[in-house]
Amino acid sequence: MPGIGNDIVALSAIDVERTNQYRFFSKIIVGQEQQLYNDTLASALAFEHFVWLAWSMKESAYKCMQRYQHNLVFSPSNVLIGEVQLPANNAKPPMEGIGFDNLLVCKSQLNFRGQHLFSRSIITAQYIVSVVNDTNDFSNTCWRVKKIGSNDTEDQSLAVRDMLLHKLHELYPADEFKIEKSIFGFPVLLKNGAEADFPVTFAHHDHYAGYAFIPDI
Amino acid sequence: MTREEILNELKSVFAPYTTNKEMLANINDQTDLITDLKINSANLVDIIIDAEAKYNIEIDYDSADKMINVGSCIDVISEKLNQK
Repeated sequence: MPGIGNDIVALSAIDVERTNQYRFFSKIIVGQEQQLYNDTLASALAFEHFVWLAWSMKESAYKCMQRYQHNLVFSPSNVLIGEVQLPANNAKPPMEGIGFDNLLVCKSQLNFRGQHLFSRSIITAQYIVSVVNDTNDFSNTCWRVKKIGSNDTEDQSLAVRDMLLHKLHELYPADEFKIEKSIFGFPVLLKNGAEADFPVTFAHHDHYAGYAFIPDI
Repeated sequence: MTREEILNELKSVFAPYTTNKEMLANINDQTDLITDLKINSANLVDIIIDAEAKYNIEIDYDSADKMINVGSCIDVISEKLNQK
């Protein structure tokens, strides 16, 4: 089963002043990542956005790897960002798709304890969303971000599950799907009563929620 | 400080980041910050920073990684306080 993870950061919910404090951002990015920002990204990306971009990629990487290492603990310092290519085009990116428009996304490579991982991220004025996999093939990745009315955690969780089940029904009209949670915390998709052979990943933060998966069709 | 004193003080550290006030009032060592208190992972760094400020301690990467439930938060804070 391929690995996949996603994460969303709602930028209206972040504390910009706190994010820019060394004591805070040094818990998320390490020295070489600060250097990467200074050397290649500072002219095009606000530092607080880089910090949260890094967070979204690192948490996505953790979700991706947790499929293989169930007792993994999220540790931002264990995921190193090796390269970041910002979007070539500033047009407004879509909020859903199958695959990513490479001109509109931020492409990155990550290293988790020697394992190479790959990221596609969308940075808007409202949110940053990342999807990470271990193959660097995003062509069939089905993903979506949606603004939802409630910022209550339970409501967000229900909304993202409904959104995913709706999409699965579109793609697989003859099949029955159910989403459960593993004892390790990640979502498990059941297709006609048996675990589906593709993973799904959810994220939500404040008023934004999203999913990603690689359908087997 | 005793574990019970730290546990009671941690309620005020967690309070800004959870809407599950009933669970917060009844936290114990096993209470998970994300699955039980419904704290968004994006706020975990806030909690570490707030705990550092409250106890005038520094929580390094390895210790921060352990802070996934109330008991492990108390362990880390106790350890850092004892090192002062």
